[in-house]
Amino acid sequence: MELSLLPPEVADAHRGFPEALAACRDLDALMRLKGAFVGRDGSHASRLMDLLKAAPREAKRDLGAAVNGLKQQWEEGLKLRQAELEQARARTAALASAWDPDLPAPAPVLGALHPLTRLMDRMVDVFRPLGYHVEEGPEAETEAHNFDGLNIPQDHPARGSADTFYFKDQDGLLLRTHTSPVQVRVLRRIGARGADGRSELERSGGIRFLAPGRVYRKDEIDPTHSPMFHQVEGMIVGKGIGMHHLKGTLAYAMKALFGPGAEVRFRPSYFPFVEPGAEMDVRCPLCGGGGCRVCKGSGWVELLGAGLLHPNILTMAGIDPAVWSGFAFGMGVERTAMMVSETPDLRLFFENDQRFLRTMGGLD
Amino acid sequence: MLIEIQALQAELPAVAGMPVGRLCEQLAGLGFPVDGVETSGPSPVLEVDVTANRGDAQSHRGLARDLAAKLGAQLAPLRTAATAEGEPLVPIRLEAGAAAPFYATAVLELGAAGATPEPVRAFLAAMGAGAKNLPAVDASNELLHRYGQPTHAFDADLVQGGITVRWAREGELLTTLDGVERKLTPLDLVIADDAGPVGLAGLMGGDGTKVSAGTRRVLLESAYFDPRVVRAMAHRHGLHTDASLRFGRGTDPGFARTGRDLLLERLQDWAGARLLSAWAVGTLPEPVGSIPVEWTMLDRMAGYPVDHWEAASFLRRLGCSVTEQEGGLAVQPPTWRHDLALPADLAEEVLRLKGYEAIPAVLPPLDSAPVPPAPGYLKRRNLASRLAHLGFYQTVTLGFVDPQEEKEGLGDQQALRTLRNPLGEDYSVMRGTLLRDLARVARMNLERGARSVQLFEIAPVFRALPGQPMTETWTLGLVWAGAMGGEDPLTPARAMAGPEGQSYLIGVLKRLGVADAAIAGFTRWAMPDGTGKGSAGWQFELPLDGIPDEPARIIPKFVPFSRFPVVERDLSLLVGLDQAYAGLRDAVTAAVAGTPLLDLRCVDVFRHKSLPAGRQGWLLRLRFQAMDRTLTGEEVDGWMNRALAAARSLGCELRG
Repeated sequence: MELSLLPPEVADAHRGFPEALAACRDLDALMRLKGAFVGRDGSHASRLMDLLKAAPREAKRDLGAAVNGLKQQWEEGLKLRQAELEQARARTAALASAWDPDLPAPAPVLGALHPLTRLMDRMVDVFRPLGYHVEEGPEAETEAHNFDGLNIPQDHPARGSADTFYFKDQDGLLLRTHTSPVQVRVLRRIGARGADGRSELERSGGIRFLAPGRVYRKDEIDPTHSPMFHQVEGMIVGKGIGMHHLKGTLAYAMKALFGPGAEVRFRPSYFPFVEPGAEMDVRCPLCGGGGCRVCKGSGWVELLGAGLLHPNILTMAGIDPAVWSGFAFGMGVERTAMMVSETPDLRLFFENDQRFLRTMGGLD
Repeated sequence: MLIEIQALQAELPAVAGMPVGRLCEQLAGLGFPVDGVETSGPSPVLEVDVTANRGDAQSHRGLARDLAAKLGAQLAPLRTAATAEGEPLVPIRLEAGAAAPFYATAVLELGAAGATPEPVRAFLAAMGAGAKNLPAVDASNELLHRYGQPTHAFDADLVQGGITVRWAREGELLTTLDGVERKLTPLDLVIADDAGPVGLAGLMGGDGTKVSAGTRRVLLESAYFDPRVVRAMAHRHGLHTDASLRFGRGTDPGFARTGRDLLLERLQDWAGARLLSAWAVGTLPEPVGSIPVEWTMLDRMAGYPVDHWEAASFLRRLGCSVTEQEGGLAVQPPTWRHDLALPADLAEEVLRLKGYEAIPAVLPPLDSAPVPPAPGYLKRRNLASRLAHLGFYQTVTLGFVDPQEEKEGLGDQQALRTLRNPLGEDYSVMRGTLLRDLARVARMNLERGARSVQLFEIAPVFRALPGQPMTETWTLGLVWAGAMGGEDPLTPARAMAGPEGQSYLIGVLKRLGVADAAIAGFTRWAMPDGTGKGSAGWQFELPLDGIPDEPARIIPKFVPFSRFPVVERDLSLLVGLDQAYAGLRDAVTAAVAGTPLLDLRCVDVFRHKSLPAGRQGWLLRLRFQAMDRTLTGEEVDGWMNRALAAARSLGCELRG
């Protein structure tokens, strides 16, 4: 059909139809376009039908075919576009209910144990299979437990107020300077004779325990000193205990703590409450023995003090050193933690920055 | 202690050519670890750690003696023959008994000019002492470092009358060589002339009788003093000298005479001195008796069968006189080994010289029943672990507080928790609460940019009441400050300092099993923000016995649960803004008592200006479930009506 035969506005509309179709971005717009072209009233199609009705009879056949052709063309166009738009709407709806799993969600909230707690707990775990349990004592201690019962001479400098904190107006009460008073307390307990004339030690045949805890010394706070720090003490009492047992126990424990490759050195030392005395050093983890700031050039880092229980310690607790023997060892927790973690400053452990606790702590 | 390798070699030729590292290992193996090596001088100088019991090892000769025993080598002979003693030229009186039992002395006339030989000057420099170029002083210092025997030279012409070793009289004054005037007490052992004290025994000589370039005659002193007396004096006067360190750990009384001889010999050599007379007064302390050492004890301690011949040989090399007896040895320690008193001490010597590396490593057999870990320890450990899993970081703080910062009444007497000798006023009290430290740490973390701060500490807190023993109570402290949420598209942001923050902390406490009464009775919830006015979050503290113990059963007792459907109903209420939730919850719960109520909780709070003034909307959710049947709608309707009636009785109404 010649477009020129159509009313000019219908012809214009028809020419613009493909564009109008493409311009419909949603189904509502498409329905409006559909109404304008093929709707029941006032649409281009209905105007053409009016034209057809009014046309002379002889022209009707051709005109009718032409009008139908146009209408069909429009309807097909509309149908295709509707299918497109419906598809797009379904896709959008699907997207709208979808979620990018990479978007942040609330993270599981997890805290951490303090690294010193972790190390002490690990010590307990390492010694548990060997039959060690945990014993504890107070931090405010008597001179009798902290010094006298440990064979520490009356004039030993450690007893002085330059080294040990004493309470005011509390005669002889001090802040324990090591976990060793727990030894004294336990020895007195197991050495005391009950109503049956036998001691706990005689009934049980021996004891082995760890005493982890806080201790205090009058040191100014600096990168390697703190007036409060932690120790883990270990002790065993039994029959026939010797240095070989101490060495075997510590060798096992050091490997369990620091790995099978840990190189340790067991050498003589002196503490008033043991005889023979010993210390265990570990190869400097920083320099591997070549000498550095941490090991002060010696290649070794002192790890713990130990020894066989001094006969006087046993005697003072009512335990016969001719029958019973034992060993004890004590390890500085901070020192070991610093060495293991290469933490440069002791104060970080007591500052408690959450970033430090997050990286150094854990949940175990 | 400083040890110059060249001087060590002079005492023990066997170590000549030994690499420094090897020497350090040998010393460590004997119990003298080397803390540092200084190589800037002509001969390397070792910083050797000598334990407090080894007074005898505090010199080159002393360490050489231990090394010689270890290596089976010979010490170089001392370069002196005993000096023939003559008549006393000056009266010497010992009036302090066992505190000063022996005093060797000599009087010499010095030659015209004298000088300290260069090698000695270099040695003194290596010892950090420095030569004074007064032969009497330098020789005395040299002997101290080389042989461990402190000696002293007085200007004999400045000494008035005789020498008396006695206890000081109250208030006597002495200006020591360091120029300090010291007020003495009867606890001070002094060397005095007829005019008064001229030296603090074992610590330092007096300024008034010191040797100078003009000195013509010297009076020498080489004595033995009781170590305990010297230690106490050094401590009291704060005067720790090379001499007090050696006397205080015990010198060899048997060496006092030799020390005098070595000193006078040097003065003769270096300063052309002429000996006028040498003599000694007093008696050497009784040597300790013979100590029995049983082979069974040695074997038990060593963990290996100790070779009898070798053990005796080690002890002999250390200077002991050893005789074999039934089942072991009888050992008489030498005069320089004050530390050897018990059989165990001698056992250590045998093991030490053999080397601890010879001790086998053996785990002791488990010959007693293991004891389960202490319940208190396990409880703290499990609690800490649970809190870490709930998002809290464990802190460890020192435990000292400033008394001004803990002014709130903790129901005890703070003075009794106060230290007599604190590091400072702000560290002078042992804490009675953990909350100060936790709040301080929380604020520090916030200031450093932490968004959310969740901390806990488990530690003892101290309480002291007059006349009662101080108590230490294991206590849990918690703080929660900063913000939560708002860090992702799914969670709204909340400031923990806001009033609803407290609900979060209470939620945690309930998870820990803290009793409602403990929560209701707590009064210090607001975590101070440091300004003294505001709050930056929430805190809580309670003794650990307020937290339920771990159940005794490995797995808790079985609690039956229903397999029938749950019926959930909501009750939307308008309630007064002043309505307490606990009151409403308890009233509604009581109203539906006897029903199979599973759970009742407020799931929404709505506050808006569209609601009547003074009212808010609360959405209560009730869930019912019977153990034995499916519930019907009618019976649940009936229970909900009871719930609504209870709410109405508190002035609530149904929200349309």
